Amino acid sequence: MLKKIFLTLITGFTLAFTAMSLAASSPTDEVRISVDAVLAILDNEQLNYEDKRTQISVIVQERFDFRAMSQRTLATNWSKTTDEEKEKFVGLFSQLIENSYVSKIESYTNERVDYPGEKVSGRKAVVETLIITSSADIPVDYRLYQKGDQWLVYDVIIEGVSLISNYRSSYQEIMKKEGFDGLLAKMRAKIDELAITPS
Amino acid sequence: MMEKLLLALLIFILPLTALGVESRRGFIETHEAQPESAEAVTPPILEEMESDGTDDESAPFMDDDDLSFLDEDDEFIEVYDPFETFNRGVFWFNDKAYIYVMKPVAKGWRWLAPEPLRLGIRNFFSNLRAPIRFVNAALQGKFHDAGNELTRFGVNSTLGIGGLFDTAKGNFGIERKTEDTGQTMAHYGIGPGPYLVLPFLGPSNVRDGIGLLGDIYFSLVPVLFENRYYWMAVSGDIINFLSIDKDTYEGIVKDSLDPYLFLRNAYGQYRRNLILH
Repeated sequence: MLKKIFLTLITGFTLAFTAMSLAASSPTDEVRISVDAVLAILDNEQLNYEDKRTQISVIVQERFDFRAMSQRTLATNWSKTTDEEKEKFVGLFSQLIENSYVSKIESYTNERVDYPGEKVSGRKAVVETLIITSSADIPVDYRLYQKGDQWLVYDVIIEGVSLISNYRSSYQEIMKKEGFDGLLAKMRAKIDELAITPS
Repeated sequence: MMEKLLLALLIFILPLTALGVESRRGFIETHEAQPESAEAVTPPILEEMESDGTDDESAPFMDDDDLSFLDEDDEFIEVYDPFETFNRGVFWFNDKAYIYVMKPVAKGWRWLAPEPLRLGIRNFFSNLRAPIRFVNAALQGKFHDAGNELTRFGVNSTLGIGGLFDTAKGNFGIERKTEDTGQTMAHYGIGPGPYLVLPFLGPSNVRDGIGLLGDIYFSLVPVLFENRYYWMAVSGDIINFLSIDKDTYEGIVKDSLDPYLFLRNAYGQYRRNLILH
C-alpha cells in the first residue's frame, strides 16, 4: 500500500516536473537541445555519412517548421496554389532546406557554438548563435515562433542573410519565367542531383 | 418561465460548445496531417475560439495558414539588376576562373602552408586595411568603432607582430567591424544603383564598386606594395583567403537552383545588414 502511494507520488512529481520544464523552456534552450544533438551526431565517429544524415534529419524535422517556411517563401503565390501543389512544394522544399542547412553545419564539425543572446517578442523569438571556428566566427541566428508549447524555426540567418528571404526572391524569379511547374521541376532535378553527389 | 428557458438553453448549448471544441481539436490534428483541408476549416475555428474564450493565449491550435505575423518586421529586398545578361556573362567567367584557376592554386597553397601561417597572412592584409575601417567608421560618426579600429591597428601592428596576429581580438576582445566606403556612401543616402558582377571580385553594385576606389585609396596595401608588386600582393591575399574559406562558393552552387540569383540576393542582404550596423 505504502509502496503504491510512493509510486504514485513519484510518478506525479515526475510528470509535473516534466510539464514544468517543458513549459518553462526558453527558445534558446530549445535551439541548444537541437544544435547540441546535431553536433553530437556529426562528431560521432561510429556513424557513417548516411546514418548521420538520417539521424540529423529527424532532429531538423522536429525543430523546423517546413510548412511555415514554404508559405513564407511562396508569399502571395501560396494562396494561389492548390492544396495538392502546396503539399508537393512543402515536400520538395523541406528536402532542399534540410540539405542546405545540414551541409552548412557539416563543414563546421568539432567547433564550438556560443549563444550570445535571444530576443523574444510575443510569439516570436530570435536566438543568436555564433559558430566559433579556428578561422572565423560565423553568426547564425534562428528565428522561431511559438506553436503550442514548442518553439519552431521558421528562418535561419547566416551572416545577416536570411535563407527564406533568399529562397523567396530566387523562387519568385524562377516562377516568373518558368511558372510554378517549372519551379517544381527544377527542385526535383536539384534533389536528384544532390542524391547522386553527396559530399 | 424565462428562467427555465435559459436553463434549457444552457444545458443544450454548453455540451454543444464542448463538442465543438473537441471536434475543432480533431480538425486541427487532421489538418496538420493533411494540409489541404486547412483553408476550408480555418475561419470557423478562429471565430468560435474567440467566442467561447476558454482557451489561453498560446492556443496550440493556431491556423497554420495564418502566419502573416511572421512577416511583420521583414523587409524583403529585391536587387535592381537591369544588366542581368551582362552580369550573368561575368558570373560565368568568374565561375570558370574560380574553378579552373583560383581554387586549384588556393588548394595547392592550402596543402603547402599550415593553417596558422595562412591565418597570419590573412591577418596581415586585414591589418593593412584597418585605415579603411577607421576612416569610414569616423565618416559615419561611429566614433566608438573608429576608436576600436585605431586601437586594433596599434595593438596588432606592434604586439601582433606587424599584424600577423589578431592580438586585439584574442587578448583584448576588441572585434573587427567591417566598414568601407560603400557603406559610408549608403550612410549619406546614396542608393546601391544597378547590381554589378565584377570580374574576379564577384557581386557588387555601382555604389560599392565606386566605393572600392575609396577603399584602395585608404588601404595601406598599395603603400607597402608598389606597381607590379601590388597586383601580386592583391592576388596573393585573395588566393590565401580562398585557401582558408570552407568552399562557400561550391556549397552555394551545389545547393541552389540558380547560384546567380542566390548570390545576388545574398549580397543585397549582406550589404544591407552591414549598412544598418
